[in-house]
Amino acid sequence: MPVERKFFESQALALLGPLQGVARRLCRNDAEAEDLVAETLARAWRSRDDLADPVAFRAWMFRILHNTFVSERRRPHVARETTLDVDPDCENEPPFSLFEQMHQPFLLWFGNPEQEFLDKLLRADLERALAALPEAYRVVVVLADLEELSYAEIAAVLEIPVGTVRSRLARARCALQKRLWESAEAYGLKARANPIPKREKRTTP
Amino acid sequence: MNPHKPIDCEQALARIFEYIDHELHAHERAAMQAHLHTCKSCFSRAEFERRLKQKVATLRAGAMPEAQARLEKLIKSL
Repeated sequence: MPVERKFFESQALALLGPLQGVARRLCRNDAEAEDLVAETLARAWRSRDDLADPVAFRAWMFRILHNTFVSERRRPHVARETTLDVDPDCENEPPFSLFEQMHQPFLLWFGNPEQEFLDKLLRADLERALAALPEAYRVVVVLADLEELSYAEIAAVLEIPVGTVRSRLARARCALQKRLWESAEAYGLKARANPIPKREKRTTP
Repeated sequence: MNPHKPIDCEQALARIFEYIDHELHAHERAAMQAHLHTCKSCFSRAEFERRLKQKVATLRAGAMPEAQARLEKLIKSL
């Protein structure tokens, strides 16, 4: 069924905020983000008849946005400072849990460290940690946690199986928490997490 | 997860992100909740992950005020 102009317009207008939000996180530059959204809208309109299910409009638009971002980034004249993509399916992100780091026995005397950490965590810490993630991880965190897409929608956007979304998101969150743990140092939590070095045995002369 | 069989901590932690993302089936969610009712450690972990997810969600960038009008105009001109 062909997509009518009225339907396209109303859906695209409703999605304009989220599209800009994701574009800003991907590009990390507002001017480029606006260009990306504009190009996405133009491409979507040109290929509107490819939209098989109007209910899937949101995932379809985000897929075009992501594909446009990836293809633009590959153009040789576009200078980028972004980190190179990691192999998104590699297993080289070791498991890491902030909660486990803060729940080591020598920290438990200190009340509720994870509560204190969350209370102290600043937007700037989160911004830094998210921006430092490799692109493949950043995009799943943005789609899942910022835009609240379901795993099935993310799978449709990135054209990967749902199982891969599940595992990639878990690794991305581990990577994010690892970077946030670095902020814990500033709040004094990390220092307290380091075990007190054992005293050397004194030998009497 | 078997709906009639209680789950242990290892099984609960393996699905903790799916739980906070509301991606578990009803019977899996029920098994998870039953475990969290009895295990303080896993309950605290789930709460921590849920609150951290909420914090991350505050980074939603949203629209750029200056670009919004231009993009709206573009949509109407397509």
